[in-house]
Amino acid sequence: MNVALEGKRYPPVRFTVGQVHTERFARIVGQREDGVSPTFPTAAEFAALDQVIADAELALDFERVVHGEQEYVYSRPLAVGDELEVVARIAKIRRRGALGFCTIETELKDGSGEVVVIARNTLVIRGVDA
Amino acid sequence: MTRRYADVAVGEELPPLGRVVTLEDVAAYAEVSGDRNPLHLDDDHARRVGFPGIIAHGMFTMGHLASCVSAWVGEPGGVRRISAQFRAYVLMGETIVAGGRVRDLDPATLRATLELWVRCEREGQTEWPIRRGEAEVQLA
Repeated sequence: MNVALEGKRYPPVRFTVGQVHTERFARIVGQREDGVSPTFPTAAEFAALDQVIADAELALDFERVVHGEQEYVYSRPLAVGDELEVVARIAKIRRRGALGFCTIETELKDGSGEVVVIARNTLVIRGVDA
Repeated sequence: MTRRYADVAVGEELPPLGRVVTLEDVAAYAEVSGDRNPLHLDDDHARRVGFPGIIAHGMFTMGHLASCVSAWVGEPGGVRRISAQFRAYVLMGETIVAGGRVRDLDPATLRATLELWVRCEREGQTEWPIRRGEAEVQLA
């Protein structure tokens, strides 16, 4: 885990909010009401997270990663048909004893350039090298 | 129907929402979310990295919590912010119960701030897969 990479921004990834996808997601998380689930943006985050996981310079050992915290802030609810540009950034990266903490902030922008959702994902890496 | 601001009081509790977590649900969640970490799919892997077996995604539990909040608000789009801290794992076959309470009300915006949690009973102890969860919701 390379703590010098705080602030690193990854290339944008495209993600379309699809009807079948959002309906399946809602069913699996047990949502009964119509509309895109509040935690559906996790699917867009994962589309961008692949680059972070594969980043040899960052060297996150994903096998030792657990999820510490998660936050979503919405300027409006996502809607089916939204064409998003998803950009991940290493917002904060720290080592505390044998634990590493890496906060990835991901912006989901719609076609007009508006940031619709900000996702903050804090990963805990167990047993980081000294 | 979106819940009305006038019908809500500080201290009010959201109806708790429980569900049993199954391997089938967690595998389906891995597909739909794109999180195919073997911790949630492969029992041998989960044991090798120090867990008693496959554990649910934190986001599966948070998704369930968001469904509890959406049901109370009346629509998922009413959730303007939601956060969670993951503090305990959830094993297959366990029951998770999401809950919350109205902490604050803002008459200017008709928004409520909720404190949220997800608990799970294990061997006579209460575990907290989610603690210090929080949401801001738009009421009507």
